[in-house]
Parts: sequence; C-alpha cells; structure tokens
Amino acid sequence: MKSKAIFRANRSGQLLIVAALAIAILLSSTTMYVYELSGERQSTEDFFISDFILAVKQGSRNAVISALANASNGGEKTVLADDLDSLSQAYMRLNKRGIWRLSYTVLNDSHYDGGVWLSWGNGGLGVSSAYANFTLRVYDSTANITMSYTVNITTTITINGYYTSNGTEKTINLFCRVFNEGKSALAKNLTVFYENLGVWVPVNASNNLSVRDYGNGTYALSFNVSVPSEIVQVSVHAQDMRCILVKASIPCREG
Amino acid sequence: MKSENRGQIRIIEAFLAVLIIFSSLAISANLATTQNTAEPNDLAYVGLQVLLKLDSDGRLGRCLDNRDWAGLRSSLNLLLPTGVSFNLTVYDGEMRQINEEIISNGGFNSQEIAFVNYVCVSQNQTFNYYVIYLYLAVAK
Repeated sequence: MKSKAIFRANRSGQLLIVAALAIAILLSSTTMYVYELSGERQSTEDFFISDFILAVKQGSRNAVISALANASNGGEKTVLADDLDSLSQAYMRLNKRGIWRLSYTVLNDSHYDGGVWLSWGNGGLGVSSAYANFTLRVYDSTANITMSYTVNITTTITINGYYTSNGTEKTINLFCRVFNEGKSALAKNLTVFYENLGVWVPVNASNNLSVRDYGNGTYALSFNVSVPSEIVQVSVHAQDMRCILVKASIPCREG
Repeated sequence: MKSENRGQIRIIEAFLAVLIIFSSLAISANLATTQNTAEPNDLAYVGLQVLLKLDSDGRLGRCLDNRDWAGLRSSLNLLLPTGVSFNLTVYDGEMRQINEEIISNGGFNSQEIAFVNYVCVSQNQTFNYYVIYLYLAVAK
C-alpha cells in the first residue's frame, strides 16, 4: 500500500503536464476552428457577387413593373423592349467589376404582344401582365457565371355583383378583388363606370357611392343608378400600388 | 529522486502546465481580436444589403424620383449599423449628379472606406434609372 501511494505521488506531476497538454490541444483546436471561420469569411466576395446578381434581378423586375404601368396607362406595348434595352446598356456601361451582360427576350404568344398582355374583358376578370426572360452573364476576376431568370408581373382584378330595384333607381352592389402575381394586393384607386344608353358614365358622390375596404385587397362597392335596361353594364378600373392599371366589366342583373 | 527535490520539481511542472495553457489562450485571444476589425469588404457588403432592402419594395426608387433626400438619409441611418458613417451620391443615366444636397450622416475620419456602386431602377411609369455611389466608413 505504501509503495502504491509513493508511485501515485511520484506520477502526479507528470499527470498534471498531460492534463495541461490535453487542455492546450483543446485550445489549439479552437484556434484552428477560428482560423477555419476566418477562411470562410474571406468568401464575402462570393456573397458580394450573389448580392450584385440580386440587385440586377431587382432592377430588371422594377423595369418590367415600370413598363407595364406605362403600357396599361395608354403607353406603347413596345415600351417594355425599349426600357429593357436601356437597362442592359446601363449595366454594361456602369459595372466596373468585370463584364456584366444582361440580355432579354420578351414573350410573344397568343396572349402576350411584345411581352405585354392586357385583357380587360366583360366576364368580370381583368389582367394586365408583362413577361420577360433574362440571361445574365458575369465575367469577373473571381466568377464566371451565366444565369437565366424570368420576370412575370401580373395585376388581376375580379368583380362580381348584382342590383336591387328601388322604383326607378337601381342599387348596384359589387365585390372587387385585386391581385399582384396571384396574391391579394391593395388598390391605389378604384374608379367605377356604368353604361347608360351606350355611354359609359363615371360613378361619383351623386350616385351615393360607398366603398368598403376590407384591407386585404377586397372592396365592396355600392351605388345607385337610374338606368332603364334590365341589365346594367358596370366597369371597374383599378390602379394597384405600382400604378399598374387593370379594368374589368360585368353585366349586372337583379339579385 | 531525492525527496527534498520533489517539491521543486512539482513547482516547475505546475509552472510549465500554466505556461502551456496561458500561451494557448493568448494565441486564441489574439486571433479573436483580429476577427473583430471590420474590413472594407464587409462594410461594402452591408451597404449593398441595405440598398437592396430599400429597393425591394420600390422605396429607394420613389425617394430618388421625388428627390426626397431627407427620407433617404433617414432610411440609411435607420438601416445601417450604429457607428457606420455614409456618404451617398446619386447620378442619373447620363452620370450627372442629381442630389443637390449632401446625403451623409457626418464626416469620415477612417482610413478604411468601403464603396458600393448600385443601379436603381424606378418603378415609375416613365422609365428612369439612377446610379448610386455609396461610401461607408466605421466612425472612430
């Protein structure tokens, strides 16, 4: 027993050094980890490039919104191609980090003409849409990237309604919903018209117009008209928060 | 080993152990300090993020269309981290400066200045794009 105790006492100092070495190894591995992290932080350049790509995407999206707002408010349908031309030239001229080339094609099919589709029908549905495909090529000292993406901006309005007769007057009740890219969206302003003897008449305060905004892109409208016909044609013109105009009309019947 | 020398050896061993641990700590602490210094690249990254955030809902383009320099200054003040100085210059497509007042939150007294070049397209019906030069520095 005594010799064991002496052995333990002799070795305790060496154990202390072994323990210290173990702790030092732990600390060194932490240090190595910190180094690893610093190595990863150097790739901020990669984040930088990906954010520049995001900025180009954002810019092209804004350009398509601007062109659709213009075309839907009476501008030429060629405005989208013209704007995207200017934008791609701007990116080529201004980016000094390398060569950034933005090319585009606007959609032309049975609906879209020059990348713009305005469908303002009589079935209670109105669509204003713009569609363009983009290809971004980046030749940089740190990157050689080619990426394609699509921008589709669509504002839709749906309306439905009926009227109730009060003698010679008719009270028209309409429900109107506005969407941006398929999601409910707020309207900046709503203008309502009704057809009387072939003439579209704007609805105003004299028609006791009341608008109830549900705050989620749904609007309930009510107004009085004196129209002799059994069917009253009603049209709603909505401008969304991006100033994109969309129109829809419906024949209102007694409900 | 003589029993009278054993105590001194223990002290030397303990001293060595403490030395090893503290030297590791000192190296790690030194590295951590190096990490905390903001590099211009990081600042540029932050600046780009802020401009992207402002542009995501068209707010940046609206401020530029309306020449709302005070609004732009307030937005940058709000979104940039505390202690970061900025100076922003706005040019039109022809590279003519359009901000007639300084858009800044104070003077730069740092050697390390980061720079971000951003193209902002307005959502306005009339197509407009602006070139933004944003300079950033850590206020000391």
